[in-house]
Amino acid sequence: MMQLRKTYRSCITIAFTLLAYGCIETFEPGTVSFESVLVVEATITNEIKPQEIYLNRTFAFEEDGPNPERNASIRVAEDSGNEFVFMETTPGKYISEIAFAPQPDKYYQLLIVTNNGRTYTSEQVQLSQATRIDDLYAERIVNDGGVEGMAIYVDSFDPTGNSRNYRYEYEETFRIVAPEWTPDDLIGDPAGGCGLLVAPREGDEETCYRTEVANTLILTDTNGFAEDRVTRFLVRFINRNSYIISHRYSILLRQFVQSNEAYTFFETLNNFSGSESLFSETQPGFLIGNVTSDENPDEKVLGYFDLASVHEKRLFFNYTDFFPGEPLPPYIVPCVENAPILASPAGCVLRRIVEANLVRYTGRNDPPQPGEGPFTVVPRVCGDCTEIGVLEVPEFWTE
Amino acid sequence: MKRLSVVLLFFGFFFSYSQNDTPAITISFENSDIKNVLDQIEEISGYEFFYVEDWLGRKKVSGDYQNTSLSTVLSDIFKDTLINFYVMEGNKVVLTRNNIIVDRLPENFFGKEDVIVQTEDQDLEANPLFYNEERSAESTRLETVRIGKQTRTNRQRRFTLSGYAKNVNTGKAISEMAIVVEGTNLGTATDNDGFYRLQLSAGVNILKTSALGIEGTRKKVIIYNDGQLNFDLEESFEVLDEVVVKGNRDRNVEQAVTGVTVLEVEKIKTIPLVLGERDILKAAVTLPGISTAGEGASGYNVRGGRTDQNLILLDNAVIYNPSHFFGIFSALNPFTSGDVNIYKGSIPAEYGGRLSSVFDITTKDANTEKFSGEASIGPVTSNLMLETPVIKDKSGFLIGGRATYSDWILRSLDEPELTNSKASFYDIVAKYNHTINENNELRATAYFSRDAFSITSDSLYNYSNRLISLKWDHKFNEKNSGGILLSNSEYNFNIEFDGDSNNDFDLGYKINETEFKLKMKYLYSSAHTFAYGIAGKLYVVSPGSIKPRGSESIISPLLIPEEKGLESGVFISDSFKVSDKLLIDAGLRYSFYAALGESSQRIYEENAPRNNGTLVETREFGNNEFIETYGGPEVRVSARYFLGQDFSIKGSYNNIFQYIHTLSNNTTVSPTDTWKLSDFNIKPQVADQFALGLYKNLDGNKYELSLEGYYKRARNILDYKVGAQLLLNEAIETEVLQGDGKAYGVEFLVKKNEGRLNGWLGYTYSRSFVKLDSQFNEERVNNGEFFPSNFDKPHDVSLVANYKFTRRFSASANFVYQTGRPVTYPIGSYTFNNAEYVFYSDRNKFRIPDYYRLDLSFNMEGNHKIKKFAHSFWNFSIYNVLGRNNPYSVFFVTENGELKAFKSSIFAIPVPTITYNFKF
Repeated sequence: MMQLRKTYRSCITIAFTLLAYGCIETFEPGTVSFESVLVVEATITNEIKPQEIYLNRTFAFEEDGPNPERNASIRVAEDSGNEFVFMETTPGKYISEIAFAPQPDKYYQLLIVTNNGRTYTSEQVQLSQATRIDDLYAERIVNDGGVEGMAIYVDSFDPTGNSRNYRYEYEETFRIVAPEWTPDDLIGDPAGGCGLLVAPREGDEETCYRTEVANTLILTDTNGFAEDRVTRFLVRFINRNSYIISHRYSILLRQFVQSNEAYTFFETLNNFSGSESLFSETQPGFLIGNVTSDENPDEKVLGYFDLASVHEKRLFFNYTDFFPGEPLPPYIVPCVENAPILASPAGCVLRRIVEANLVRYTGRNDPPQPGEGPFTVVPRVCGDCTEIGVLEVPEFWTE
Repeated sequence: MKRLSVVLLFFGFFFSYSQNDTPAITISFENSDIKNVLDQIEEISGYEFFYVEDWLGRKKVSGDYQNTSLSTVLSDIFKDTLINFYVMEGNKVVLTRNNIIVDRLPENFFGKEDVIVQTEDQDLEANPLFYNEERSAESTRLETVRIGKQTRTNRQRRFTLSGYAKNVNTGKAISEMAIVVEGTNLGTATDNDGFYRLQLSAGVNILKTSALGIEGTRKKVIIYNDGQLNFDLEESFEVLDEVVVKGNRDRNVEQAVTGVTVLEVEKIKTIPLVLGERDILKAAVTLPGISTAGEGASGYNVRGGRTDQNLILLDNAVIYNPSHFFGIFSALNPFTSGDVNIYKGSIPAEYGGRLSSVFDITTKDANTEKFSGEASIGPVTSNLMLETPVIKDKSGFLIGGRATYSDWILRSLDEPELTNSKASFYDIVAKYNHTINENNELRATAYFSRDAFSITSDSLYNYSNRLISLKWDHKFNEKNSGGILLSNSEYNFNIEFDGDSNNDFDLGYKINETEFKLKMKYLYSSAHTFAYGIAGKLYVVSPGSIKPRGSESIISPLLIPEEKGLESGVFISDSFKVSDKLLIDAGLRYSFYAALGESSQRIYEENAPRNNGTLVETREFGNNEFIETYGGPEVRVSARYFLGQDFSIKGSYNNIFQYIHTLSNNTTVSPTDTWKLSDFNIKPQVADQFALGLYKNLDGNKYELSLEGYYKRARNILDYKVGAQLLLNEAIETEVLQGDGKAYGVEFLVKKNEGRLNGWLGYTYSRSFVKLDSQFNEERVNNGEFFPSNFDKPHDVSLVANYKFTRRFSASANFVYQTGRPVTYPIGSYTFNNAEYVFYSDRNKFRIPDYYRLDLSFNMEGNHKIKKFAHSFWNFSIYNVLGRNNPYSVFFVTENGELKAFKSSIFAIPVPTITYNFKF
């Protein structure tokens, strides 16, 4: 998913002279060359745990990301002299050797030595004020746009007035029930040919759980308000037609209190990810973080080293709590049955589809109409939720 | 000599009685000395001649007369000489040389004064004789005008000649026509009403007139009393075909100010331009130092300055957006525009408030003699201008309107996408000018322009400019004159967004300013001319409001409160002619600005980056309370020194404050650009400029060469933080940065003003940089080093050439080349917080492709019969003959995971147009 600043000025139709003038064409930017830049993603929280830092590199547009930076040596240095060493666990993901939490009164600095021997240092940062989420709650609303759905709000209050800048992350987990699940399945005839047999399923693929980590930046601040109080801040709105709330839904909200510098950084980053219109263009340019190269101050480094106090809260609700007796939202895809033929002059049809794991069996097609086969099938996800979820009930799940 | 009445004889002007009663004679002579002929006549007629033999010279005459009166014979003989004759009673003929025969001595003849008068007359008389002998061929063509009768009581040695110059075709006054007395350094120029007044020595004077677009004349004027002489002059069709940029041919060498350009609308009509529109501001862009960000970009970058740094005045009132349709047309009606003075170097002290330039555009005065007009019909627009006297010879009214019928064309197309498009504009200008009397003149102008167009099918932009201005000029006495100006301008734009989604909105912006200015002129002496005055301007800005459109819209209404500011200045300047070679223009202006309440101003922590987090408090200010004041002295000095004839060196220095800024993170001025006043957080921009140039005219001003260099420094230039979003932002100060600017360049221009082939070639090398440095990362751009500004275009070449085949047919070409402007490119992607982002290069690290374009046009004039109802003019032009796809904007999209660079252009193919113009 490319969050690209789209400055699309559509072709200005100057049809004045009744000629359609060609307007838009591609061109070779020529001098533009890709730059491989180190990207630092390091938010150390006040939870005592193995802290995580991600190192990546930028990648060219035609490539797929992420592009992990491997074999770097990372340390977080406390101004008292303590150092926390991070080890790479999976490519680009570095975890501190010991669980630790930064102290509120100390300064911390990130030190990186990359595989190619270059060293990078962050500015010294301090832990932000810790503030708890007071309340996390869901309401059925019709939003300003006339769309009905579930709104998830957060309340928070810092009586000291020092928090001010809040960033939220959430992950949502929800139960999926495959609507066209049957206990039977189709298997290819072991004898060969294009024939298929109906056999009981090996596993129960009816109920699954799926977790999605949001990657949007949700920011709010209480600057300019008399009290450092977040009230009814909408962190998530789910359209009532979204399949994710069909059964039971859970959201884990993490509230980060950020320093002013970090908050500004994330806010600016957010401007680049928002959808652009002709009326609100964002000034492009290189977004400076707080990590720099020791060898070459002109070298670009992306990302930010941040210390943030975090507090999290989880919320569950059922569809029936808010929409009792109402039809379920449509499933993730339309589950339309059809009955492919077994074979065509070109070869097997349904058997190849089944063996490619694209469909699930729903029943016998009796009698088949011309051009139909003997079995009805639906797209796999309609009969097998493991395509989009897992069968295991998450540890935190409560009913 | 007795009993003679006072007579004046000259070149066949005889008093009738002297001709009537002379006898008829028959005489024949061939190539004889005049003396011999006179001897012969004496023999035949018995008349006796009295004369000084030297006067006759060696001129040979021939003739054959049968029974012709003596007077006729004599007048033929003396036709090409300065000799007059008088036939006296008693068969005596007295020859005189160009003076009168007085029958008695003047009163007080022995008084000292009169003796001098007499001497003076002698001198005077002596001069024309040589003149005549040497240039007799020409003198025969010379129309001679006699002014006044010498009365016996009049002993003045100098007389006043006055009168009006009028265009015989249009009946309109010819202003700024130079009238010089040949062989002397006397001269004058006509004022706006074509009026002039000139002191002439008694006797013969050869007056030479020259004005642009008007045929030059020479007249022999014999003046013996105060009198009137009106010039009814033909238009010069020769000039019509030329592209003449300077009003005053040697002004470029003579004036003290550097970096001044004068454009005359009449003279740019043959420059090939887009869609057949004659466009004075587009013509300006062909001159060094003035450029636009790109095709379709409105706004002008003068000497590396931002587009908001130009003070564009129409009859002294500001036009905020002088362009139509993304700058493809300028919003000035070419038929009603008079001259444009563009000051890009030293800006006169009377102007202030904008750093880079002043475009002083005047609407021409209405014809006070007769009804006339001008019209053009083109493929996109039609234009009509009418002017009529209100009180004959005193006041006139002019109205001009221009509109496009593109909407109608778009609607009638079959293509559904185009049918729903909208692109329309019009402008209308009206002017009333009234000469109350010799000392008082009144002018009033009203102007309105409006654009409406859709870029995408779901949005509609419109914007409009409106202005009114009043000017009263008063002459107190010969030395003191002054003018009062009152003007009001308003610019607003509106966006209606009505898409399929639920975020439809109406958005509006408005700025209004009212200015009062008093300007006085004092001609202290021939060495010093002072100009002084005061000016005050009140700005009222409504920065924006957004309203949901329709009940479905999720947009919440927002109104950003009004801003007010008062900008004022006092100025004085002296044009000091130190010597024949050195001329100094020294000016001083004190500029003062106050940001006025009612307002809430956000106060931020000192020594911290400005953002929501460093907000300390919001302070409230009452209505008209001073929020913050800024100001300071501004120096405007320039000097000219003649290094030789037609060769001068000029230098200048000036500094200016600017209190109003555009907010635009586009590189081009798009109509959503808003103007922001300086306030508690946003300081005025300040710039100073040094310029030095060499100016040389060759071959009697036929060629003009100039080479000018400049260096400019600026402070508090407004720019934007990375990621800034400006529209409808209540805390703009947290999005903008103020940094240093510098620009330098060399401008070279060679012009050929006359001949079949004329035109100019300009080359500019210029650079423009910005530096945004701070100790805080978020307020630093490109590591706090100077980087090229959005309009840094080092090389700029413009060629304008006209070739005249015949009086009626001519062709023109226009070629432009510019380095592509800087741009910030996305150079890769990265993942952060599980999302993928694009990362951009350093600001303005790359450039869009170079810009070049060739336009050709061919002009055909209707015939020039004076009696014809209208003068017509056909123009056939091709814009972008090479079909170059010059980028208008550059943008990036990913297709199949691959980033693609796109450029959009407006005229990617040659665009032919044909326009018909006529004048009546």
